[in-house]
Amino acid sequence: MTKQIEKRTVDMTVIGEWVEPQSRILDLGCGRGELMAYLVQAKQVSATGVDLDFARISACVGRGLSAYQGDMNDFMKAFPDRHFDRIICSRTVHELNDPAGVILEALRVGSTVTVGFVNHGFWKNRVDALFRGQKVRNAVYTTAWHESRPANPLTIEDFEAFCREKSIRVARRAHLLGDWRTPCPAMPNLLAGYALYDLARD
Amino acid sequence: MTDEVQAHAQAASGPRHLAADDVGIVRPRDFTYLGKFTFKSGQEIQGFTLRYETYGTLNATRDNAVLVCHALSGDHHCAGWHSETDAKPGWWNNLIGPGKAVDTRRFFVVCVNVLGGCQGSTGPSSVDPATGQAYGTRFPFVTIRDMVMAQKLLLDHLGVSELHAVMGGSMGGMTAMLFAIEFPIFTRRQIILASTSNESAQAIAFNEVGRQAIMQDPAWNNGDYPREGGPRVGLAIARMMAHITYLSDAGMDRKFGRRKRESAGGEAYTFDAQFEVESYLRHQGQSFINRFDANSYLYITRAIDQFDPARAYGSLEKAFSPVQAESLVVGFTSDWLFPPEQNREIALALLRAGKRASYAELDTDLGHDSFLLESAELYNLIRGSLERPEAYQVDFAI
Repeated sequence: MTKQIEKRTVDMTVIGEWVEPQSRILDLGCGRGELMAYLVQAKQVSATGVDLDFARISACVGRGLSAYQGDMNDFMKAFPDRHFDRIICSRTVHELNDPAGVILEALRVGSTVTVGFVNHGFWKNRVDALFRGQKVRNAVYTTAWHESRPANPLTIEDFEAFCREKSIRVARRAHLLGDWRTPCPAMPNLLAGYALYDLARD
Repeated sequence: MTDEVQAHAQAASGPRHLAADDVGIVRPRDFTYLGKFTFKSGQEIQGFTLRYETYGTLNATRDNAVLVCHALSGDHHCAGWHSETDAKPGWWNNLIGPGKAVDTRRFFVVCVNVLGGCQGSTGPSSVDPATGQAYGTRFPFVTIRDMVMAQKLLLDHLGVSELHAVMGGSMGGMTAMLFAIEFPIFTRRQIILASTSNESAQAIAFNEVGRQAIMQDPAWNNGDYPREGGPRVGLAIARMMAHITYLSDAGMDRKFGRRKRESAGGEAYTFDAQFEVESYLRHQGQSFINRFDANSYLYITRAIDQFDPARAYGSLEKAFSPVQAESLVVGFTSDWLFPPEQNREIALALLRAGKRASYAELDTDLGHDSFLLESAELYNLIRGSLERPEAYQVDFAI
């Protein structure tokens, strides 16, 4: 079991606790459908995923999941207000061209929006940057700059400021320590490795 | 569909019908319905015949049938060979067979020549028992819904209790869509490729030019012509033009470019076919007139043009509201006849209606005909959609 797979299942557990049974879920950047499959089984949700990659959509179809190949903003524009009970954006937000646009559109199409991201303000990342003086590399971001996809690293403080600026109500937050398991007792921007937010429109 | 894609399937040497993953020599059958059949137009015929083929075996619970629906110029012969010396196999032989994406060891595959067709099913070229003459344009107007209703009668005759899946490309996708709408409990899955829920003005326009080429040919004679005669020039031109719409600019460039025929003189000032693409299209037109009836071409293109469930039911979401099938829609980037957006719209409307639907898109340069592509990616997608167990249980003990 690699560290990344372990961390992925932790992510699933927290989101799984927040998801209401039998609700209608949209997973933005659904990948091969691991999270959706888990939620379908554990919470009997009706789930749809969006991803850009054919092979990932094909994997979802093979698992009996609904998945749509295309741009997530274009996809959401095709739906009426509050069509979905919950829209999940798990470890996707840092790779978006227009993160604010996606989150605000998700708040229109979904009643609740769950955002999960790696906190780049985590002390280990700061130390790494300070001492190595290079792009942060850690258990999740293992690659050098020239072999990575374009990413827009963010911190918990960045995200909190964004929510305040856009008048987005944070209905629930979970800050987890570097093990992505233990709740973070204080100073999350420094001590939390992973953050999850439930957002609602005010 | 272009003959070219088919011919490619038999490029390998050796008797392909003996290959382990080939359904082998197959025999078409006829189903004759003796009752009165009322078309959507209100017109009636006293009975009809459908020519069809089946591969694989219907299981004890009679629920492993996969109905394959053909496109405008296709037919019931979608896999296998009609004889050991057959020049080419059925039109979807690359997809259907033992161990292939549509696995005939698991599924009972049924493919039917549509009502209104000319490959053995009752259509305008059939003899009207009332007059002893071919129906011609006295044949009732056919809709996709009529094709679906007739095929359902055949499936009932075969004892199929429910369709594991209905699938098809282009017009075949329309047929699949209407099966899922009209027979929601009966239809467990639908796979729609390179299709549309209503044609664009451009697609209707191309069909109209084809119909005009036929009807302006004096030999059409208002649809009354002898079986071996008829508007051969008009039909060939209709086919040549339609053929272009099944390909793409890039695909044609890759295949023909500006290459000239070897027999063509360098700068000869003549209207004989000089470019390879010209002789290719002429050949396509000529081979088509030997296998297709001009009146059927009029009727079936009309049925495709008229197909518009959104209009028939008020909206596409309302049309899809009874659907129980799990749906997979596949678009192809270079398809400009039924482009990706029109395929996306089918999936999006299904999802808006609260149905389980997926959309996948393949990057190809084969145009509309891409759905016949030999592609491991496409095979995996279709196999995944057909074969996954009904109640999927995820193993999270990673």
